[in-house]
Amino acid sequence: MMLAKLFGKDYLRKRLLKKTKSSVMREYLSTPFPDNNDSLMNVEIVSLDFETTGLEIERDNVISIGFVDVINLGINLGTSTHHLIATNAKLPENSVVIHQITDNALVNGESIATVLPDLLKHLTGKVLLAHNAKVEVGFLNKMCQQFYGSDFLIPVIDTQYLAKRSFDRKNISYKSAELRMFNLRASLNMPAYKAHNALMDAIATAELFLALVSKISPKNNARLKDVLC
Amino acid sequence: MEIELKEIRDFIAQHPPFDVLSDEVLNNLPKYLTIRYFRQGSTFPDLTVEKKSLYIVRSGAIEIRDQHDQLIDKLAEGDIYLLDERLDEDSNKFNGACVEDTLVYLLGYSDLELLTKQSENFNRQFNQSIDERLRHAVELTQSADMRDLSAMKLEVNALTDRIPVILDATITIQNAAKIMNDEFVSSILVTDDNKLVGLLTDKDIRRRCVAVGLDFNEPISIIMTSDLMTVSEKTLLSEALLLMTRKKINHLPVMKDNAPIGILTTSDIVRHLSTSPTLIATDIYKANSVDALKRISIKLPELQLQLSLSSATAKHIGEVFSSITDSITCRLLELAEEQYGTPPVEYVWLAGGSQARNEQTSHSDQDNALIISEQFKTEYADYFKNLADFVCDGLNECGYVYCPGDAMAKNIQWRQPLSKWQEYFSHWISSPEPKALMLSSIFFDLRPVYGNFFLFEELQNKVLKQTESSEFFISHMVGNALTHQPPLGFFRNFVMVHDDKHKNTLDVKHRGVVPIVDIARVLALDNGLKETNTVDRLDAALACKALSIEMHDNLIDALEYIGSLRIRHQAKQIRAGLSADNYLPIKELSGLEKNHLKDSFSIIKTMHQVFETRYPSSRMR
Repeated sequence: MMLAKLFGKDYLRKRLLKKTKSSVMREYLSTPFPDNNDSLMNVEIVSLDFETTGLEIERDNVISIGFVDVINLGINLGTSTHHLIATNAKLPENSVVIHQITDNALVNGESIATVLPDLLKHLTGKVLLAHNAKVEVGFLNKMCQQFYGSDFLIPVIDTQYLAKRSFDRKNISYKSAELRMFNLRASLNMPAYKAHNALMDAIATAELFLALVSKISPKNNARLKDVLC
Repeated sequence: MEIELKEIRDFIAQHPPFDVLSDEVLNNLPKYLTIRYFRQGSTFPDLTVEKKSLYIVRSGAIEIRDQHDQLIDKLAEGDIYLLDERLDEDSNKFNGACVEDTLVYLLGYSDLELLTKQSENFNRQFNQSIDERLRHAVELTQSADMRDLSAMKLEVNALTDRIPVILDATITIQNAAKIMNDEFVSSILVTDDNKLVGLLTDKDIRRRCVAVGLDFNEPISIIMTSDLMTVSEKTLLSEALLLMTRKKINHLPVMKDNAPIGILTTSDIVRHLSTSPTLIATDIYKANSVDALKRISIKLPELQLQLSLSSATAKHIGEVFSSITDSITCRLLELAEEQYGTPPVEYVWLAGGSQARNEQTSHSDQDNALIISEQFKTEYADYFKNLADFVCDGLNECGYVYCPGDAMAKNIQWRQPLSKWQEYFSHWISSPEPKALMLSSIFFDLRPVYGNFFLFEELQNKVLKQTESSEFFISHMVGNALTHQPPLGFFRNFVMVHDDKHKNTLDVKHRGVVPIVDIARVLALDNGLKETNTVDRLDAALACKALSIEMHDNLIDALEYIGSLRIRHQAKQIRAGLSADNYLPIKELSGLEKNHLKDSFSIIKTMHQVFETRYPSSRMR
């Protein structure tokens, strides 16, 4: 992280590209990351959400992946994609309730080995957007190490971080529950979605992002660096 | 579709016009959408960023204003907004602003085109202009009526299946009787030179010939009834019966293109009609006291409920109720004349306001006036005071409460000889003060109900001649009409009525019906039209080219649509045992109904703009 602050993520990308041998990773890393000074209007952003068996990255697994592109500060539903991932891990009961995914459905899911290359391809040259992004970035990192023997790297926008930062800047105290997506959306008068699946959560995150950006820059003239982690 | 987008699909599918799309098309729809977020206070739409699109509001609120900064539309959850391509050059005249943080779904024009190709219904919704859409809605409700065709809505030609026997006026009474016998009819029509001149019945032969010993070789013209009332084949059965009851006649020739096609008899109708308007009208003429009339009028709300359940149109309900009020008024006048004696000079009793326009419902105030012949002398004043008090008090007893503005014959100001009335109108027309304009909705809608109608016609002819040529007066009337703006922004939390009791309601009478009534009145006065009913006035304005056919049709559709919502609302209240009012709770309206109401209001708005252009001086007021 210190190096990222000093040299920028694109410097790290070039360094990682030199080290990595995996062709999937090389292809992913060979496209430059968007410039931090680019206008947000011109940056391609992918809002990504993983549903997992739990939050311990080493032990838990991704069970579904949903994403949608944000272009020109509009959420393009034509790009929306959802994958159920096959896993042998038994689902803990409470996550079945949250994600409405059953063991049975997961047996019929796709293999992460086929989904991951497509996902990396889709993320190439773009910015990742997630709520509490350390989950998505953490699992991506773990999976890239597993499959390609390489770290994963991407510029990240985190709506939870943006919300927290705006509370901090205004010196407003908050409870951690207030940073949850449902509560943030409610505080911004955004509709509550009943369905909880990776794709709807990715869309909900994207909408929340648009709302937060409009507070940061009412005239739509924010730059990428204004919202990056 | 990704099944995960079902929530978005379901949201879209709830809102018209998307609700007409097939499941297949709906399932594909979310993929074509873009979601955008507009911060409170930001400009809408933002064409610097978006391609031209259809907008569906997911949450929040947007106001659209015209070049005069007048609110012309207010969009809330589920509402759609489409920049009309036909308005392309003018689209910069409209500007929108988000009054709340707003989330919208955008559907690009090219994708919209794709969708319209996939669904004919959907296509119709979008290729239709506002007026076509509204007409379609009215047609839909009317075709629903057809399924439930009640006797009330039958036209008289439905009962005149037999070709009438028509005889020449010169035929002898005996020959006529022989023919009637052979043809098994109890009545025949009489013509002279192929013109309908009379009606002859069994009873006429009995009373005016046999009983009095008249030579039956005399021509039938001597004993026939010659003062004929007729109805057109299109007249509603219920109206025909009310007319027959009121005029106390049992036979009514039915005309088509000025030629008789049948005779309608009371027994024909009674066979077919057992609904209450008939019985009520009959009862009214049998009633011998105010108390008896009062007992009858208690049934009126129930009658309105029945009529609206039988899907009678708002216009027909207005006609039936005004006709009943006329009957009650006439009966009260007859009773008054019985009590106070024959009137010393002739007079005419006038109905005002909604009764005059044939637009009453069971819940109406009374508005009336009395014109007395020029032979009036001060010693007759008491007679007419007694008469007017008797009738107005009687009406009040019957539920037609006193006019809050005191526009009643009971008030001596409105119980005057003809010349005094002419003075009133001349004054109102030459110096239209606010009070005159307030009274205009009552006294510029007048209709004679009882007495010598000629007295009224004399007044009306003079008045119309004056209004027609008075640009000054007309521009005041227009200015007055323009103060009744339709509520284009009444959705969501807009409180249209400001007292607590009627919070979140729409006063359909004053915000919807009255603006159209005002428009029709201005057209009538400006063009010297005698009609009082709003639809009749619009028809007449069309005939004299004061109104385009398009505008004419649109206004009539809007009036009927708003009227039908009002009738439905009142029916609901009556059924719940409440007294009927005009405050329609916004939450009782479906999305489609809101859209149609908006369409109706924007038609009124367009007509107001026509007025502003046509009568430029009205804008100064």
